[in-house]
Amino acid sequence: MAELNVLGFHAGNSVPHQLDVRFKLMFLVIISLSSLKAFAPSLSLLTLVLIVALNHAGLPFKMALKDLRYGFLLLVFVFMARSLSVPGSPVVEFKAVSVTREGLYEGSMVCWRLLIVIMTGLLFVLTTRSSEIKAAVEWMLKPFPWIPAKRIGIMMSLIVRFIPIIFEQAKKTKEAQKARGVENRKNPVYRLKMFGIPLMRRIFERADKLVLAMEARCYSENRTDSLLSSSVKDWIVLAGVMCLCLIIIT
Amino acid sequence: MNIIEIENLSHRFADGTVGLNKINLSISEGAFVVIAGRNGSGKTTLLKHLNGLLLPTKGVVKLSGVPVTKNLTWSRQMVGMVFQDADSQIVGETVSDDVAFGPENLCLDRAEVKRRVVRALETVGLHHHKDQKPHLLSGGEKRRLAIAGILAMEPKVIVFDEPFSSLDYPGVKQVLAQMVFLHQAGHTILVASHDLEKLIAHTDRLVIMQDGGIVRDGLPSQLLGNLEAFGIREPCASRLGMEVHSWLN
Repeated sequence: MAELNVLGFHAGNSVPHQLDVRFKLMFLVIISLSSLKAFAPSLSLLTLVLIVALNHAGLPFKMALKDLRYGFLLLVFVFMARSLSVPGSPVVEFKAVSVTREGLYEGSMVCWRLLIVIMTGLLFVLTTRSSEIKAAVEWMLKPFPWIPAKRIGIMMSLIVRFIPIIFEQAKKTKEAQKARGVENRKNPVYRLKMFGIPLMRRIFERADKLVLAMEARCYSENRTDSLLSSSVKDWIVLAGVMCLCLIIIT
Repeated sequence: MNIIEIENLSHRFADGTVGLNKINLSISEGAFVVIAGRNGSGKTTLLKHLNGLLLPTKGVVKLSGVPVTKNLTWSRQMVGMVFQDADSQIVGETVSDDVAFGPENLCLDRAEVKRRVVRALETVGLHHHKDQKPHLLSGGEKRRLAIAGILAMEPKVIVFDEPFSSLDYPGVKQVLAQMVFLHQAGHTILVASHDLEKLIAHTDRLVIMQDGGIVRDGLPSQLLGNLEAFGIREPCASRLGMEVHSWLN
């Protein structure tokens, strides 16, 4: 049985699942922008709200932490860069390098904000079908007739559809290499080369197969689109999100 | 009446390799035909010509008298193809999304798409999994999902490419039962396989391919003794001089 990957749609009946995708896209933008202006107390509130929402949407937290571990590694790098680059009163000093109190604070704030963006994006991906994303993108690009809305919508939905496949292929490649003792090779460039090339080949092969399967089922740009319909619930949640963001930025 | 007519079909790949060489084949409506042959004999290449996934270098493939190339969308609706690798055929995020993919491509209205999805999932017995992620299904269930995705497009011909590869015994039985059911429901079934053991009791015609050409075509009972010369294993019961029984019994 294949392992579940959190970076994809999970069917459910939670409130985020029931919301119109256009509203969800709007929430994603509003919350991400508001978090840029937020500090510790309001970030705590936002984190709490998002944890409740993710739990309500049925996110398997343990698995999510495992799947997002490389993203957290990025956050660690950001934190370190900030800690070392912001001037202020030093906490640790080693030759010309110093970690400052202000740097630690700035670094943790930036990482926290990025975490909020990741959590909001996760909630969006978890509760939204890629076909709905496609329909929403097409709807948003409708006022711009010179932009190929359908094509862009398809590209976006396929990217979302393909993320779990890339992770799955990466896992298989890694396991196959471990089985042949790649861990005994300490040269990171060699390991990256031996991992990256077969992974890319597998991804492209998989993409080719997917294209063929889609063609066999008459795929074209003109197809039955997802129904986009907003309800009172969307407006109520919008009001709630707006209030939350106002509290955060004031 | 012949639902598929292949006349003088040849296919040469871009690198110059000959995939098919002067194939002539007619298949009557409602038939259950097995196309057998060793790896690289041209089975999959032939099947891909039936719905225009590959186009002939020479010759013509006709469905109900109409060349496949005349209307590719119609051809692909008419001939549903279940691929060897069921995972690569899955495009939806849930089981019902995946089945809806084909009808949506046919621009059917939402109510009709829903009706077809429900019917196809009930036919293959996966309705209780409709909201599940397809990748979490077992091998046999994935193959049945691929069949449901095809059935939702209401094809007349269903083509299976190595339908039992990497399936366990229950998975094989599930898929075989589905194939037999679809045949009894009036679909024309074409199966490409090098493993006849599971199929031979249900098929009414056996076509053997080698090096891109058809080398034998006839009743399974007439051809069973000559299979191994073409790299196909003779069913166990037949080797022992016994009658070949269905795997479903």
